[in-house]
Formats: sequence, structure tokens, C-alpha cells
Amino acid sequence: MGIGLTHYLILSGILFAIGLFAVITRRNAIMVLMGLELILNSANINFIAFSRFGGINLDGQVAAIFVIVLAVTEAAIALAIILNIYQNYKHIRIDEINKLKE
Amino acid sequence: MGPISHSINFLEELQKSVGLFAPETALTVTFLLAIVADLIFRRSRNVTGFIALLGFIATGALLMSNSSTSAFAFNSTYAIDPFANFFKLLILITSYLIVVISFFSAELYHGNRKLGEYYTLIIGMTFGMFILCSSTNLIMIYIGIEAMSLCSYVLSGYTKEIRRSSEASLKYVIYGAVSSGIMIYGISLIYGLTGHLGLAEINHSLNVANLDHITLLVSGMMIIAGFAYKISAVPFHFWTPDVYEGAPVTITAFLSVASKAAGFAALIRFFKVVFAAVPAQGSIPDATWNMLGSIDWRIVIAILSVLTMTLGNLVALKQTNVKRLLAYSSIAHAGYMLMGVTVMSEIGVQSVLVYLVAYMFMNLGAFYVVMQYANLIGSEELEDYTGIGYRAPVLGICMVIFLVSLLGFPSTVGFIGKLYIFSAVLSFAGKNGQNFYWLAIMGVINSAISAYFYIKIVRNMFVRGAEFDKEKFKLSPESLVVALIIVIPTLYFGLFPGAVIRWAETSLKILVGN
Amino acid sequence: MQNFLGLGPLTWITFLPLLGMIIIFLIPSGKDEKGKETSKQLFRWVTIGFTFLQLIIAIGIYLNYTAGMTGINVEGGFQFREHYNWFTVTGLPMFGNVKVDYFVGIDGISAPMILLTAIVCFVASFASFSIKKQIKGYFAMYLLLDLGMMGVFISLDFFLFYVFWELMLLPMYFLIGIWGGPRKEYAAIKFFIYTLVGSVFMLLVIIGLYFGVHSFNMLDMMDPLKYDPTSIFAPGHGWWRNVAFFALFVGFAIKVPSVPFHTWLPDAHVEAPTPISVILAGVLLKMGTYGMLRINWPMFPDSVKYFQCFIAWVGTVSILYGALCALGQFKVGKRDFKKLIAYSSVSHMGYVVLGMSSMNSSGMSGAIFQMFNHGTITSMLFIIVGVIYDRAHTRGLDDFGGLANKMPIYTGIMAIAFFAAIGLPGMSGFVSEMMIFLGAFMAYPILTVISGLGIILGAAYMLWALQKVFFGKLPDRWSGPWDPTHKIYKTDDINAVELAALIPLAILIIGLGIYPAPMFNMMNATVNHLVEFVRIGGGF
Repeated sequence: MGIGLTHYLILSGILFAIGLFAVITRRNAIMVLMGLELILNSANINFIAFSRFGGINLDGQVAAIFVIVLAVTEAAIALAIILNIYQNYKHIRIDEINKLKE
Repeated sequence: MGPISHSINFLEELQKSVGLFAPETALTVTFLLAIVADLIFRRSRNVTGFIALLGFIATGALLMSNSSTSAFAFNSTYAIDPFANFFKLLILITSYLIVVISFFSAELYHGNRKLGEYYTLIIGMTFGMFILCSSTNLIMIYIGIEAMSLCSYVLSGYTKEIRRSSEASLKYVIYGAVSSGIMIYGISLIYGLTGHLGLAEINHSLNVANLDHITLLVSGMMIIAGFAYKISAVPFHFWTPDVYEGAPVTITAFLSVASKAAGFAALIRFFKVVFAAVPAQGSIPDATWNMLGSIDWRIVIAILSVLTMTLGNLVALKQTNVKRLLAYSSIAHAGYMLMGVTVMSEIGVQSVLVYLVAYMFMNLGAFYVVMQYANLIGSEELEDYTGIGYRAPVLGICMVIFLVSLLGFPSTVGFIGKLYIFSAVLSFAGKNGQNFYWLAIMGVINSAISAYFYIKIVRNMFVRGAEFDKEKFKLSPESLVVALIIVIPTLYFGLFPGAVIRWAETSLKILVGN
Repeated sequence: MQNFLGLGPLTWITFLPLLGMIIIFLIPSGKDEKGKETSKQLFRWVTIGFTFLQLIIAIGIYLNYTAGMTGINVEGGFQFREHYNWFTVTGLPMFGNVKVDYFVGIDGISAPMILLTAIVCFVASFASFSIKKQIKGYFAMYLLLDLGMMGVFISLDFFLFYVFWELMLLPMYFLIGIWGGPRKEYAAIKFFIYTLVGSVFMLLVIIGLYFGVHSFNMLDMMDPLKYDPTSIFAPGHGWWRNVAFFALFVGFAIKVPSVPFHTWLPDAHVEAPTPISVILAGVLLKMGTYGMLRINWPMFPDSVKYFQCFIAWVGTVSILYGALCALGQFKVGKRDFKKLIAYSSVSHMGYVVLGMSSMNSSGMSGAIFQMFNHGTITSMLFIIVGVIYDRAHTRGLDDFGGLANKMPIYTGIMAIAFFAAIGLPGMSGFVSEMMIFLGAFMAYPILTVISGLGIILGAAYMLWALQKVFFGKLPDRWSGPWDPTHKIYKTDDINAVELAALIPLAILIIGLGIYPAPMFNMMNATVNHLVEFVRIGGGF
């Protein structure tokens, strides 16, 4: 049995779930970002798998490239913001950063 | 058709598209100019701001010049239609006012902070919102959302040495990135279901093929989550209060008006096009989203709307920080606007447009006054507002007008917006006698609740502290002029709303299909 | 009456206060070295001047009023009509053409109210001399309130009506909230929220009616032929029409206020400064009953019949409950003079509701006349309370006694007001209550008899209060002069400014008690028309 669309979808589903789980449960901002990357990459796998096996068009692959680019910019900006947080708070545990919402 | 003629077609298409893309190009040029100017005039903090203002005027002129065009650009991924034009103009006016307001912000001009990037990023964010308004392709929508969000993440933490500001930007970037991640996952599922990313093609596939309902529901919900995040609808609102409270006031105002408007533009276009009943030619008749018999999207949106406004208003009752209070009020206003989306008929969309115009003036005005007060007393706490109305009377009266307008008081533009939304909801008559009277009733109950906290601000400003005779604040004439520039339309369009209604009415045309 | 500068008398009488407000805003509230506002006299006299001009116009309107013209649903029956287009937007989806008119005019129902508003506003501006802080803001808000009230009584376009109806809320909020007593914040917000809740539902009904007739013109909404038969409030949709009627009724009943929506009134009255209490009781409450007569009755004549008995009950309960509450002020030390009068207002407005529920000319004209009389009588009562409050800084009934010796003239005037409130023959209150009972007896004899108890209770609490304050022994603390320096109060008794406010009202009360015909002449044709219109159901 060859590897088909279903396998890719299962993989992406698992990645998405892990990513979401990381985002919700991790306290360290960097870990949250990593979870985020997983979510975005699971979407990428979907795009490419559908494009490859659906046999319709190349839109999916183009989309994946866009997503990769945007993921990089997003990560860059998020890291900069986390760095700034570190300078202000000397830690990056997001559950302890709640000056707002008293 | 050989490769040569194909490439010629491509060139023609590109040429045509670039022409249609002129306003966005103007924004890009402004963006680049601002960066260069910032490098050259290192000393000046305002030069990029002025370049932004000039660029916005040029963009506005270009927008006006093709206001009635309806055409696709870039292989039907980008629609230039009156609907998009309306939102772009609205966003442009907002951006313009925000730049003007920023000149007065003590918070931003504190110390020797460089503001070149600040104004540059505002231009960039405007560009992102422009893309969002016009996209007819899910990937373009995603790019638009990201372009807008990336700038806003930075802007909301621009006063980076202030803790609450950096906290706001952290929360914004994490929640924002997650919600757009979920959205792109939803997009990938839709792509798998239909094989397309263009809204019109998706609509076509939905019409011809019988798709799996569960998957469609899940992916649809994921995409709606992305939009709902931008318009801060419940249950995707949790970032709003924190970010609005922490960000600089100018950026809070910008987010609450422009980015909400752009979110609504994309949301309405998405629903209008994707769930259109027939692959229509030109504009869509009223029979929208009769698709998908098993899922009543109307009810979904209606419930979302009720939750949004009720939560926004109820939580706002207890707030003690004016910025945070206005954040919850802006959540509530998103709920009112969703009432118009629920109806989705022409009048429904029109009511959202009218409401957005009203909301732009009154909300910008309210935040402007909050900013001026923060300049004067260095606080945004409700308690510190005691008697402030007597110390800065003109601003105080303006604030009262903005607040009662947010409340929907007659003779202000907010009333026209509410009247229109309620009319749209009451006028709806669906199949099998479906109506939304209950939604309208929830709406008016909510607007009665909201009276309490708007009036609470007024109470602190005027009712309390009338006795002690503190010194009056000195305000520069320019800052009063800006207040009047926003207050005059608030009153004028409240008394003579013809122009706003007409503008919204001519902007209903949404391009669909090829 | 001639138009002046192209605008009719109704526009002038309504928008003159706006002019006054602008003038007040333009006058700098210059302060001398001691921080005292130097232009306060100017603000006062500008306000008095403008309200006096209003009064002159109102008298002019009265003199030129043609008795015998109908009104209600006949455009030709309205007098001093002005009908301009406010704004029009054409070719909209669903709406078609949105056309909002500036359409004003008066008939027999609104004419007495215009007169009343002009009189009360003029009188209350004298009572405003007791206001000491933020005088500029006070008079600006006062004039804005005046504008809103006038506007409500002249509007014949529902949109316009709603704008004025809401517009008046905001100045009232400030007037109670800023210049009120110790619990002013609570009282002001309570008043605001109560009224707003009533009016948001009114807004929904307005929209629904608009979809019926595609116009905001009230007269169109009274014409069954103009309705789109598929619209929600079209003739025949009885259930929805009843719902709409009820929503509007509640909105107006909050303003009246009828039990059980009356709880804002005692709070607002107790906290409001004297002149604002005067306006509140004198004019604002009438807007509720006026709204019912102008909107509920002729627009939903079918539903009125359906609810007739219910409305009579609301009236009766208000009469008795208000009177009992007033009488219930017996906890020693907590007895508040103003609260007593506030509850008496609830009771007296109950008569109006009872009279309106009778659906015959006698009851209806009695009700309108009672609106006018209650306006004048209660204004007097509140000014009277204000007079001793300004001197003694207390309104507790138990703090006084034997004032008759100290203030003989004051006592005389007070007696007029009290006896008028009780409904002594020869006073205007007697005539209107008579008419109401006559009319109501024809419709609901038993309820009327029960309501008659209200008169007895009314006499009880009024006489009791009179006795408490004016007879008996003067407490030691008041034995000296009110104002030992004689700077503010030259004599112990009432002063000229206060007399200027009270005498005209006293004359009106006695005059109309002896010779009420002018009032009835004004309203008869309209009332008969309305009664007939409702009797035949208006075609609905």
C-alpha cells in the first residue's frame, strides 16, 4: 500500500492538534511560537497534499509558498516582540505577564 | 493559442491590473518614500507623518477617480468594485485622521522616541487593509490579513519601554497568529474540498457538487474564526480589551475602526460570494446563502451577534479604565454590525456600511478625547476623570457628543446607524416566515444597557466635581480644531444623513464570478 | 399669526431657546478675583428674557387659535402648520424613498400643552435664582430642555417626535445630576435609564410602522388605507398591533409615570433642584399622557379598545397607590415634603390615565384639562417647597410647624395651591377631576368609585401636611429670622422673585376654576373628533 492523500491528511491533522495543544498549554512564549509553526505547517501539508493528489491545479503549492513566507515574517516579528518582553520583564512566561486585566 | 500569445495576454492582463491597482501602488510608493525620508531626515520626527498625509491624499484622489469601476485584476484574485472602494475610502479617512491625531500624542512623543517607523507602519497597515477589502481569493485574503496584522502587532507595542504596551503586543501577536493559523488550516480544508481558492470558484463547486457537510462546517467555522478575530466578535474577542488598553491610544483607535472595517469587508465579501445561491453574473440578488440546507448560517451569525453585543455591554458595565471600557464597547458595536450581516440582504449590507461610517466618526472622536485627556492628566482611569469636563469644557462637550452618539442618541450619527441596522433586521422576511424580531429586541435591550456605562463616563466628567474649582487646562487651538473636525460630521450626518446613506447605497455592488 | 423671517410661530417658540443657549455659551462666564461668576445675572436674565418671549408667542398662538378645528388625523385640522422636507433619500433597497419631514402643527390636544410649557418654563426660570453653581451650564441646559419639550408637543412627524423626545433626556440628566441633592447621581441615572428603556422599544415600533406606511408622518400612520397589507402592523394583524400598542404604552407610561413604572419619580423629584422639579412635574410628566393621546389612541384605535379596561385599571391603581404612598410618609424624621408631592403627582396623573381610558368626550377633555391643571398646581407646590428649603435647608415635614405666623403671605399662597391640589370647588383642579369622574363613571362605574377614594386620601395627606408645617408651634430653631444678615432674604416672608413665580400660577388656577370655558373651547372639537375616531375604530 503506497502512501496516499489520507496519510498526509492524518499527518497534518496530528500536527495541527499538537500545535494547538502547544499553543494552549505551553507557558513559555517560544514554545507557543513553535506550536504556531506546527499549525502553519500542517496547513502547508494539506495544501500540497491536496494539490498533488487532488490533481486539480497548482494553487495549493503556490499557497504553501505564501504561507511559508508569511510564517517567517510572523516568526520574526513575534520573536522581536518576545525579546522586548524579555527586556521589560526579564522572563517570557506568558501566564505571568498580566499587568492588564486586573 | 501558443506560448507567445499566452504571454501577450498575460502582459495585457498585467497592464490592466496595474492600472486598477493604482491606489495600492500609491500607498506602496508612499511607504517607500517614508522609509527613505526617515533615513535622510533623521532629526525630524514628523516628516514621515507628513509624507503619509500627502500619500493618503494622493491615494484618495486615485480612489475617487475610479470609484465606479467594476473589474477584476490579477487573474480574478482582486476585485475593484464600489464595495471595496467604499471600505478603502473609509479606511483611508481613518488612517488620515489617525496620523493627524498622532501628532498630538504626548505618549508617542515622550522622550526622544523615533517615530519614523510608526508612521511608516501605519501606511503599511493601510495597504494590508486595502488588500483585504478587495481580495476575492482566500490566499489573497490571508495575505491581506497578515500584512495588516504584522504592522499592527508592532504598532500596538510601539511604546516599547512601557510594560503594558509590550504586553499588549505580545498578547496580540500570539492570539493573532493562532487565529490566522487556524484560518489558514480552514482554507486548506476548503481547498481540499473544492479544489479552488478563488471565492467564485468555491461558490461554483458548492453549487454543483454535494460536499461533505461536516468538513464544510468545520472549515467554514475556522475561516469565520479568522474574520471574527479581526472584528473582535465573541468568542474570539478575548484579546481586544488587553490590547486596546495596552496599546497607544492612537493605535487603539486605529484598530477599533479601520481593522474592524477591513474585517467586515472581507467577511461580507466571503459570505456574499461563497454562499451565493446561484453562480450569478454581476451583483448578487437577495437570495444569498440559501445553500447548505443542513447548516443555517444565518442563525450562526445571529447567535454570534447576540453573544457579542451582550458580552461586550455587560462586561463594559464594570470597567474602570476608559480605554478598556471603550474596548468592550467596540466589541458590542461589532455585535450590532453583525446584526446587519445576519440579514445579508442588500439593506443588511447597507446598514453595516452606514453603521461603519457612523462608528468611524464617533469612535475616533471618543479615542481622540481620551488621548487628549491622557496628555493632560496622564491617566485613562475613570476615577481621574472626575470634574474634567469643567477643566476642558470644549473637549468635554465633544466627548459627551461622541458618547451619546455611541449610545445611539437621536441627532447624532450613531442614531442613524442604529436605526438602519434595526430597520434592516426588522425588514427581513425569510422563507417559511422566518424573521429576526427577537434579534432586534436583543439589540435594543443591549443599547439600553450600554447607556449605563457611556453615561458613567459623562457622570464622572460633569456630574462629579462640579463644586471644586480647579484651574482650566490650556489646550492648543489646533487640538480643538481636530476635535471639531470630528464632532461636526457626527452631528451633521446625524441630522442630515442623506449623504452617508447615498454613499453606502452606491457601494453595494460586489463583484462575483468571472 | 404672521410668519416672522419666513418661519412660523411654532418654529420660533421651539427654537428660540436654542438661540438663547447659543447666546449663553457666547457670554464668557467671567470670574472676579474671588472666583465668583460675574455674569450670572446676565445668564439669568437672558433665560428669563427668552422664556418670556416664548410666553408671548404662546399667548399669541392662543389668541389666534381657531376653536373648532379638529386635528388628530386630519392635516387640515391642524393650525400653524409648517411642513418642510427635512431630508430625502430616494431609491433605496427595501426602504424605497426615505423621506423625513419637518412637520409641525397643533390641535386641541397640543395647544394647551404649548401654553403650559411656556408658562412653566417662564415661571421656573424665576425659581432658578436659587441655583448657585455652574450657572452658565445650568441655564444652557435649561434652555435645551425647554427646546426638547416644546418640540415634542408640536411634532407631527414620528421621526421628529422621537428626536425631541430623546433630546430632552440629556439636559434633564445633567440638570438633576449636577445641580441635584445628595443622591443626585442615582436619581439622574435612574431617570435616564428608565426613560431610555421605554423609548428604545418605541424606536422598534416606529420602524415597524414605517415599513407599513413608508413615511414617518404620524397622520399617515393613522390611516388604515395607507398601510401595506403585508406589513407587520397592517390592519388585521391584531396581535402584532396589540404588541406595538403595548410597547408604546409602556414607553409613555414610564414617563407619566404609572404604577408600576413610577419608582424613578420620587427619586428624581427629591434630588432635583426646585426649578427642575417644577419642570419635571409641570411638563415632563405630561409628555407621557400626551404621547398616548397623540400616538397610541389614534394609531391603534382597535388595540385601545382591547386594552381599555387594562388602562382604566392602570389609572386606578396609580391613583390609589400614589395617594397611599404619599400618606405613607409617616416615619417620623423621614417625612419628606417633596416626596409627598412627588407621590401626589403619581396619583394625580393616574386621574389623567383614568380619564383617557373612558373614551368619551367628558373623560378625555377632563384628562387634558387635568394635565394642564396638574402642571400649574404641582409647579406651585414645588416652588413652595423650594421657598422653605432655600431658607431652612431641610424639607422634613417634622422639622416645621407654626410657619403661618412667621410667613403669613406665604401661607396664604400655599393654601391656594394645597386646596387646588385637593380639588376644592372654585379651583381648576375641581373642574377637571369632575369631568374625569363623570366620563369614567359612564365607562367603568365601579373603578371610578374606587378611584374616588383617591380624592379622600388626597385630602387627607394634603391637609395633614398643611397642618404639620403651618399650624401648631414654631420650633425654637426657626424662631429667629431665616437670614440674620438680611443679605439674601430681606424679610422672613416670601420675596418678590418667588412671588413673581407663584402669583401667575395662582391666578391661573383660580381663574380656570371659575371660568374654565376658554380651555374647553380650545380642545372640544379635537377631543370630540378623537373620541369619534376611536369609537368607530378608525377603520382598522
